Amino acid sequence: MKETTATTDKPAQSSNEVPEMELTDGDILDAMQHIPGYLDISTEDFRTIYHLAHHHAVGRLFGNLRAENLMRTNVLPLHPDMYLDEAAKALVRSGYKALPVVDADGAVIGILTENDFLRRLQVGTFLELLLHMLDDSFEFQHRCHETPVHKAMTAPAITVRQEAGIGEIIHAFHLHEGRSLPVVDGGGKLLGLLLRKDFLKAYDMEALR
Amino acid sequence: MKIREYFGKMSGTTRGSPPRVNNEEVVLSWIGAFLGIAAVAWVDHFFFEGTDLSLMIGSFGASAVLVYGAVRSPLAQPRNLVGGHMLSAVVGVVCWKLLHQYPWLAESVAVATAIALMHLTRTLHPPGGATALIAVTGSAAIHKLGFLYVLMPATIGPLILLAVALLFNNLPASRRYPEIWF
Repeated sequence: MKETTATTDKPAQSSNEVPEMELTDGDILDAMQHIPGYLDISTEDFRTIYHLAHHHAVGRLFGNLRAENLMRTNVLPLHPDMYLDEAAKALVRSGYKALPVVDADGAVIGILTENDFLRRLQVGTFLELLLHMLDDSFEFQHRCHETPVHKAMTAPAITVRQEAGIGEIIHAFHLHEGRSLPVVDGGGKLLGLLLRKDFLKAYDMEALR
Repeated sequence: MKIREYFGKMSGTTRGSPPRVNNEEVVLSWIGAFLGIAAVAWVDHFFFEGTDLSLMIGSFGASAVLVYGAVRSPLAQPRNLVGGHMLSAVVGVVCWKLLHQYPWLAESVAVATAIALMHLTRTLHPPGGATALIAVTGSAAIHKLGFLYVLMPATIGPLILLAVALLFNNLPASRRYPEIWF
């Protein structure tokens, strides 16, 4: 595990956790009041059954919702010593909004996003950039030629392990603003890119209805 | 630590007292049990009066608690009610025949084996334990029945209780019986 990446480090078994409510005795007793007749079960046993059944249902619904099944492969990563203008071309070619940056071993050391460009150019949005460029396109060219990727990238990148399940993926997306997560193996090497839109498509709420 | 854990288990997991059913349920339980036990007693009176056979054994009181008082319980379902009594009766009679010279052993083996057998056959029915015990501790008349005890009272009785349960427990809107047949 390289220190340059902040992989959400959770045991694999919890990779399927979907937030589960903690039922109090009061909740269960109230529910029992709604069922006529004597219920032959204690609140503690009911809680245990509820918990295990929840776990089983999550496995059934989201068991194959794992990072390695959802990620885009064949992602051409960036390298830290590339200059930003090359990186920008690579980003455009890839069609993604962000690309992972890897060292010589293929380990993810950061991620370069469109926002990193904006930050570098000291603007907040693309519209602002557009206005700036109409004034001062020279400075923009200049900055991009001079700056290597590792100076502009977001590091460490938030990544997920290939076996990460729904809970971990959601957690990772919560940790940053970006639209994609590099997927890495146990050694932090890049395996693919998990796009938020692919994840949301797979997280089919219809299955829960 | 282990010792503390062991005694800690004795404190229970749940605070407060168990919930109480509503009054309607109390009344329904009363009526159901009244009808069920009365039905067994009537059949006993009209068909077996003056014979060596008796249809009423104590364990039916316990069955009435389940079948009319805890209708939803897995322990109260038909498979458990009839199967539990039947198998336990077989165990009880066998234990009496094999071990009657050691009453304490016959009694304990009968109840313990009845429970194990009911577990194995998914027919666990608490009153079955009593049916097995009665086969051993029962009167001379019961001992004389031999394996007839399995049929009469241990199968006929539960079947009457079951018939009443089917007829009665489905009358009120708040009840249905059974949850599962077999």
